[in-house]
Amino acid sequence: MREQLEQSRQRLYRVAYSWSSDRALADDLVQETLSKALKNVSQLRDPDRFNSWLFSIMANCWRDHFRTHPEMDDIDELEDYRCVHEVTPEDEHAQSQIVQRVRAAVGNLPVGQRQVLTLVDLEDFSYAEVAGILGIPAGTVMSRLCRARQALKGMLLEFAPKQPSQITRIRRVK
Amino acid sequence: MNNEQAISDEFLNALVDDQLDSAEKDYALRAVNQDAALRERVCELRGLKEMVQHAYPQATVEQVQRRGRMSLRIPQLQSLAACFLLLLVGGTSGWLIHDLSLPAGDNQMIHSLQALQQNDFAVHPSKFVVHVDTANPVRLKTALDEAESLLASAPDNPDAMRVEVVANGPGLDLLRADRSPYAQRIALLEKKYPTLDFMACGQTIRKLRDKGIVVELLPNTLVTPSALEQIITRRLKQHWAYIKV
Repeated sequence: MREQLEQSRQRLYRVAYSWSSDRALADDLVQETLSKALKNVSQLRDPDRFNSWLFSIMANCWRDHFRTHPEMDDIDELEDYRCVHEVTPEDEHAQSQIVQRVRAAVGNLPVGQRQVLTLVDLEDFSYAEVAGILGIPAGTVMSRLCRARQALKGMLLEFAPKQPSQITRIRRVK
Repeated sequence: MNNEQAISDEFLNALVDDQLDSAEKDYALRAVNQDAALRERVCELRGLKEMVQHAYPQATVEQVQRRGRMSLRIPQLQSLAACFLLLLVGGTSGWLIHDLSLPAGDNQMIHSLQALQQNDFAVHPSKFVVHVDTANPVRLKTALDEAESLLASAPDNPDAMRVEVVANGPGLDLLRADRSPYAQRIALLEKKYPTLDFMACGQTIRKLRDKGIVVELLPNTLVTPSALEQIITRRLKQHWAYIKV
C-alpha cells in the first residue's frame, strides 16, 4: 500500500501537469485528489481498479476547476487558457527546445483531447479505462485521441524521432 | 485494395497503443508490412507518442518536491490514515462518522490503518483538531458542538484542553463575517475558552479572491497557508487527535 500510494502521487502529478501546464495548479490538483481519495476510500470497491479510481477523482477535480472558471466552461472544445496569455521572450526562447515545444503543443490541444492523450501516452491506460475515468464512451476516446495526434502531428512532426522505416538505407546501384 | 484507405486512423492509433485483439493486430501488421504509406503513418504515430512521453518525465515531480511545496508524503498519509481509524474505532465518543463500514476489498487498507493505530501510542488525549469542509449548516453547527463538548469535558482544567477548528473549501463559510450563521456563538466560545482557535485555509481564501470575492473573516480568526498542511504536517505530527465533521 505504501509503495502504491507513493507511485500514485507521482503519476498523478505527471498527468496533472500535462493537463494544466502549471506546476502550482498541478500541485493543487494532486493535493485535492489525494484528499478526496482518502476521504472516500470506502467507495473503492475493487482494489484492482485503484489507479482508474484515483485518476477519475482527479478528472472530477479538474472538471470542478473549470466550473470555477466560467470562461473555460466548455471542457471539450475550449482552447487552453494559456493560448490567450501573452508570450514573453523567455517563453519564446524556452519553446525553441523540443520538450517545451511538445508541452506547448499538448497544452494547446482542447482539454478533452489533452486528457485522453495523456492518460493513454503517459499512464498506459486502456481506451476502456480512459472511458471510465473520464465518463465518456470508448468511441469518443478513440476519436479524441485521433484528433489530438493529428493536431500534434501538424505542430510537432518536424521534431519526431526518426523511425526505422524513415531512415534511408544505403542501396546498391547497379 | 488500398490498405491506406481501408484502415482508419483510429485503427492505427489502437495498433500503436496496443489496444487491438490478436486477430486485429495480425491483420493490421500484415497490412502495414505490405504498404509503405501505412508504415509511414504508424511511424509518425509512434514518434508522436514517444515525444509526449519524453516531454513529461517523472523527474518533473521530483523537481516540484524539492521546491518545498506541501505534498502528502507517506508518513503524513500514515498519520492521516491513523486518524481516520481513530474515527472508525472511536464511535463511543459520539463524534459524527460518515461511513463506519468499509467494503471487503479494503481489507488491505484496514490492516494498514490498524497497524498504524496500534503503533500510535502518542495521540494526545487533550488536543483536537476539528476539520470542517462543507457549508452545510448542520455540519457547521456540529463542528462547534464538538469543539464546545470537548472543552467542556475538562471543567477542572480547561486550559489543558486545546481545540483547533480548521475550515476550508465551502466550510470556510463558518468563519466568513458575511456568511457565518454562527458568528455570535463563535465569539462567545472564544471568550469562554481561550484555548479554542479558529483557523481559515489560506488556499481557499486565495481561490475566492481570485474569483473576485471579498473574503472578510470573523475577528480573531487565524489563517493558515493550507488547511491540509495545518492538519497533516503540523497537528497530526504533533499527535493531535483529528475529528472530521
